Amino acid sequence: MPITDPSPQGRLAKESVWRLPSAFAAEELLAELKLSFDNSQGERDRSVTTWFDTFDWRLYSRGLLLYYDRTAWHLVHRDSGEEIAGIPDHGGGGWRFCRNFPVSRLRTLLEPLLAHRILLQLFRSTVTTVSLSLLDREDKTVARLVAETHCPAGADREIHALRLRGVRGYDDDFERIRSFLNERGIREEVGPCFFFDEGVQSGGRTPLDYSARFRPALRETMTAREALIMIYRDLLAAMQANEQGMIDDLDTEFLHDFRVAVRRTRSGLGQIRKVLPAEPTNTFRREFAWLGEITGPTRDLDVYLLEEAGYLARLPEELRPALASYFAELRSRRLAERKRLVRRLRSARYRKLIADWQEFLTEGGGGEPSKKSGMPVLELAGKIITRRFTEMVRAGEKITPASPEEKYHQLRIQGKKLRYILEFFSALFPEKEGETAIKALKRLQDNLGMFNDLTVQQNALREHLVSLSPGSRRNLRLAAAIGGLLTSLGDEQVRVREEFTAQFAEFSLPANAVLYRKYCQGKG
Amino acid sequence: MSIIAVYNIKGGVGKTATAVNLAYLSANDGAQTLLCDMDPQGSSSFYFRIKPDRKFSADKLLKGGKHIDRNIRGTDFPGLDLLPADFSFRNIDIVLDDMKKSKQRLGKILNPLREEYARIFLDCPPNITLLSENIFHAADYILVPLIPTTLSCLALKQLYNFLDEIDENRSKVLVFFSMVEKRKKMHWELMQQLIREPGVMPALIPFLADIERMGQYRQPVNAALPHSLAAAAYADLWREIRKRMVRS
Repeated sequence: MPITDPSPQGRLAKESVWRLPSAFAAEELLAELKLSFDNSQGERDRSVTTWFDTFDWRLYSRGLLLYYDRTAWHLVHRDSGEEIAGIPDHGGGGWRFCRNFPVSRLRTLLEPLLAHRILLQLFRSTVTTVSLSLLDREDKTVARLVAETHCPAGADREIHALRLRGVRGYDDDFERIRSFLNERGIREEVGPCFFFDEGVQSGGRTPLDYSARFRPALRETMTAREALIMIYRDLLAAMQANEQGMIDDLDTEFLHDFRVAVRRTRSGLGQIRKVLPAEPTNTFRREFAWLGEITGPTRDLDVYLLEEAGYLARLPEELRPALASYFAELRSRRLAERKRLVRRLRSARYRKLIADWQEFLTEGGGGEPSKKSGMPVLELAGKIITRRFTEMVRAGEKITPASPEEKYHQLRIQGKKLRYILEFFSALFPEKEGETAIKALKRLQDNLGMFNDLTVQQNALREHLVSLSPGSRRNLRLAAAIGGLLTSLGDEQVRVREEFTAQFAEFSLPANAVLYRKYCQGKG
Repeated sequence: MSIIAVYNIKGGVGKTATAVNLAYLSANDGAQTLLCDMDPQGSSSFYFRIKPDRKFSADKLLKGGKHIDRNIRGTDFPGLDLLPADFSFRNIDIVLDDMKKSKQRLGKILNPLREEYARIFLDCPPNITLLSENIFHAADYILVPLIPTTLSCLALKQLYNFLDEIDENRSKVLVFFSMVEKRKKMHWELMQQLIREPGVMPALIPFLADIERMGQYRQPVNAALPHSLAAAAYADLWREIRKRMVRS
């Protein structure tokens, strides 16, 4: 499909914006400028803009903002206000996923950023403007002055600003008016999208208040217990942040991020012993295992469903329609699984787990000191990282192309453990080395993860194949399609297995071992 | 992106009014538009109340690049900019003649502006000169306002012959009738004759006082008198041109 060319936007006009403490009598001020206006009333306008981003601020964190103004969507730079792409939408601005947007430059730009994430409405603001044209002796417009009032829905006060827009070729006039306004004490110059942060707050959030990146703010002076409490608190906060979105099923990533926080918590509880009292730690470990278990089936189905386009691409065209019934069944299974999940998330057992865990953390893990609770966190982290790294290198070295799948699976689990530990303590170590250490590990993990996904996918397909009753023409075609998929996935798995050797070699390089050793010595 | 030259060998046929009003309508579509006033009389510039910088000249125009960049002025209307004319443009042929590739010069200096503007209108001086040749090479469309008289038709024939001579495509030419007086029988007869020719558009601009008075209110008709007959006529003409531009 064609992607519409970006139409020339013209040059960005010079612009200055001043935040004003209150509604502004522009006319009074301008009377002092030796310019007249085109009419003393000015041109009045009123617009309603609705601002969007994903839950994890995928646009904002890259310096972008997205809004809908009842006629079109606009993607703009946060700093300059410059529009990067836009698309008309007279249908009410109901598009929430990238796939809802028509093929366009805007969609092409959004796709890699949003991926599967839903656009959430951050706030809606009514903007009233009065624009005045500033004229020279020939009655030619040399600049425009716009008095703006922003009323974000739910905010307790209005935001007032004065915006001076230059006209191309009249820079001298722009500067003259600008310095005049500055002399008049209007000094609080702000960016073109100055109202955004406040608008977001009126909608109940704060920019960048959630990120999937996990980096607890540990300090080197902390004891092991203090550090661990902080790590678990951050993870609990991540679970709580994602809870509602997961229950409302807004997009697949709320559940995913929730599960990651659960898995990290479990990994910590399992790997880092003797810092918190054995009891109730063991009870929590069991309960979080349960939480992982009840959230699993829905996520597995999500993963299969997200693969739909990829599966279709693996098949010749005539076999593709046959898969429709397979995915329809997955969708209805997901619906049932999700209902069960929501029920369990509303259960007393879940509520008790979260409440008890929160209380336990608030109390600093109980009064009882454990064997290692007073150990400096740096010492603890260094020991665990070194141990995990060495274990992993040893286990990986034993893997040959002939090894059973089980061995790859075990190595993948070890990789996850190491990865989580590195993330837990990343604030204690030099950032650059940390990133390098994680990079080689991440590539290896991607390889192992892909290998595992392919195994799981093939198993699911085989299971479905066995369950098909022979005799119907539809099932015959579906069986053929599944056969095609199994071949394609199997081929890919062979390729992924071949790549493993190279990925592992890179990870287990002596240089990487040196890096880990140095890394564990801390920032010193 | 298209470059549209408004051209006729004859003067006083409504070229400037056409360029000014159509450029305004183009910008109103949301397309970033530039109007280049190539006529040393500077009528387009006058209509938009824009004077060229004292240092601007035919010399600077043909150097292009930053010399053009810093002389483009925003008009009173969002999305519409103007490159004003200077009186020295009357000598433009002499400057052109001294240059290498003197027939492609204008196209070359307008090219970089294609990135910034979706449409560029050229308000051309009336004559057939080296500058005209430059304009015909650079333009994607040559829009010819034609008063339906015998002499005008002769002038159109001359234009076609000249285009053949310099190896330019006749299909670039879009003709419309200008300053049409419906009471004049000759206007009607000539129009009936010409309308069958390729490139002649059915939309026409009548002879109207509101257009003549543009010099007084110094604004495009469609901005100053949006509900007038004149404004409606230009809007029809612009719709027809856009249709043709999409087709080609």
